[in-house]
Amino acid sequence: MTQTRPKFAWKGVIKRFEGRAVLDGLNLSVAQGRSLVIIGGSGQGKSVAIKTALGLLRPDAGQIELDGHSLVDLSQGQRRQLFSRVGVLFQGAALFDSLTVWENVAFRLINADGVPRKAAKDRAIEALDQVRLGPDVAHRFPSELSGGMQKRAGLARAVVGQPEILFFDEPTTGLDPITAMAINQLISDQVRRLGSTAISITHDLVSAQMIGDEIAMLHEGRIRWRGLARDLGQAEDPVVRRYADAARLGPVDLRSREIV
Amino acid sequence: MAAAKARRAPNRLRSNLVRPLGRSTLAAARRVGAVGVFGARATIAALSPPWFPGQIRRQFVAIGFFSLPVVGLTAIFTGAALALNIFTGGGRFNAEQVMPQIVALGITRELGPVLAALMLAGRVSAAIAAEIGAMRATEQIDAMHTLSTDPFSYLVGPRLLAGVLMLPLLTLVADTIGVAGGWLAATRVLDFSSAAYIRNTIDVLQGWDIVSGLIKAAVFGYIVALMGCYHGYTAKGGARGVGRATTRAVVSSAILIFASDYLLTTVFTQAS
Amino acid sequence: MSGAREATAETVMGTIVLVLTVAFLTYSLSVGGVHISRGNYEIGAKFGEAGALAPGAAVSVAGVKVGTVSQVTLDPKTYMAIAKLSIDTSVKLPADSTAKITSDGLLGGAHIAIAPGASLEDLQPGGEIENTQGAVDLLGLIGSVIRPQGGSGEAVASSAPAPPNQPSQPAERH
Repeated sequence: MTQTRPKFAWKGVIKRFEGRAVLDGLNLSVAQGRSLVIIGGSGQGKSVAIKTALGLLRPDAGQIELDGHSLVDLSQGQRRQLFSRVGVLFQGAALFDSLTVWENVAFRLINADGVPRKAAKDRAIEALDQVRLGPDVAHRFPSELSGGMQKRAGLARAVVGQPEILFFDEPTTGLDPITAMAINQLISDQVRRLGSTAISITHDLVSAQMIGDEIAMLHEGRIRWRGLARDLGQAEDPVVRRYADAARLGPVDLRSREIV
Repeated sequence: MAAAKARRAPNRLRSNLVRPLGRSTLAAARRVGAVGVFGARATIAALSPPWFPGQIRRQFVAIGFFSLPVVGLTAIFTGAALALNIFTGGGRFNAEQVMPQIVALGITRELGPVLAALMLAGRVSAAIAAEIGAMRATEQIDAMHTLSTDPFSYLVGPRLLAGVLMLPLLTLVADTIGVAGGWLAATRVLDFSSAAYIRNTIDVLQGWDIVSGLIKAAVFGYIVALMGCYHGYTAKGGARGVGRATTRAVVSSAILIFASDYLLTTVFTQAS
Repeated sequence: MSGAREATAETVMGTIVLVLTVAFLTYSLSVGGVHISRGNYEIGAKFGEAGALAPGAAVSVAGVKVGTVSQVTLDPKTYMAIAKLSIDTSVKLPADSTAKITSDGLLGGAHIAIAPGASLEDLQPGGEIENTQGAVDLLGLIGSVIRPQGGSGEAVASSAPAPPNQPSQPAERH
């Protein structure tokens, strides 16, 4: 237990959909400069957790805090201001397909921060360089890029404003193992370079151990286990064990009653 | 106790019959309310900063300029067909000679704005719903929120402005081309004198005939853009959801165009 | 890219539509004899019967349009119809001109034809044409020609020794 205030925290967050509590009193916090990865199976509430954190879903109960300030009841304008300290990499990269890659990366700079186009473009090309995308890619449209390149462009868009806190939503989903490795490497490099706090969700344990200092396992809307990334293998909890073993051993008997 | 139960029984029966009706009424009211709130937010976003000139320009071109061919084609054929129909129909009471006047009035007051709006409903409302729906499905709208940009200001507002300002201009084109269609039919098929046709048209038209059509067009433009944005923005469920949003945008635009056309015509004819 | 080519095609089509619109408008305005007037002045005219005269109707001199009717109201004291005419400033009308409501056709609207007088003084803005001739009720006129006495069966019955004829009429129709 540290006395310092966490950088980001969910406090007793409940979110129901049609009566079913997808988040059932989620308590989780991250210290400044740490990288936390939330793992868990499908339907356990990972995406809802990140959506509530980003203000895209409003929790039914509980608090979400950044630097000790509640995010739940902010006005649109306050939220927009606050988002200038946040960077997000979405699952499918969520690049705007009507804009070129550099316009995507510079989107916040141009449209929210009022940076002149020329300067914004220079910064975008710099950020693209950070994720190993050359200036020739800058003028292409997202539809002309491979999935891995789109993810990198999305990462460039997330880090260009040098955010204090970064969110990664399933960063390796849909990528081949080699590209996934490259993305994991880029993510941990960028997080370290910026000294940002990072929160990721993934079901990919390899990715989780590569980009996370700490891992939390979300199960049925609550945190089932939490610890250092390297301790995951030694966890006693049966749910965590099963999840970790499934990832390690591959296919399991689908008829087994114990599948969660 | 027994009496209370007996009293409740027919009540329950009645409530079972009435409940579906009540539920669908409530659902309809909720939807109207949701569209109303969306429309208000969209209007405020369109009229207040931040403005995105690049987006506004892009939508003006996409909604206005690129709709010219389809609007022009519709107008010229409708004008020509209208001329032939009125000529034949008018012949039954010796009114063939006022055909140019009727065509001009019919097009400027009614057909120009309505046809241009319907073409826009098919072309633009669907395209807006599909584009914004796809952005919703691929989390681009969520991404925009996290990039400190309000999608209402960036996406919805410019489309609304373009609809309201461009449809009247398209209607002016439709009016002109519609009259030209009537004129073509009258001079090529019916042996009207070209100059007489045009002079009759110009003499009968008053400013209000055209202006009332343009006011209608502005309202229709708002409807078309709003329906596209609303159904796209609220699309759920991937590609199928986007498809459904597109259909709904077109159908609801068309219905609202006809309904508001009747309302506006009532107001305009009573005012003058 | 195919998208770019499509956009070019659309741009060309859009431009063609715009060009055609402008061309037809220019042609219409030249043929229709519309010229941008330098302004109008208003004069009044009182009629015993306005008929189908409505705002917007043309005002012409010798068949050439010189203005429009801007308003038709009733004078509550004299029960006359007052028409306000908006006349092009370039047209000066002698003070003793005559205004006459003419029908465009059997079913058409009405317009005002002005026959210029001989006076040396012109009508001033806000002035009034004193010599007027109201609308003629064309249908009534036709009716009175067909049945000169204005009556119906009575006149026929009284002028002819009818009784012997009457029974035969229904028979003839069969």
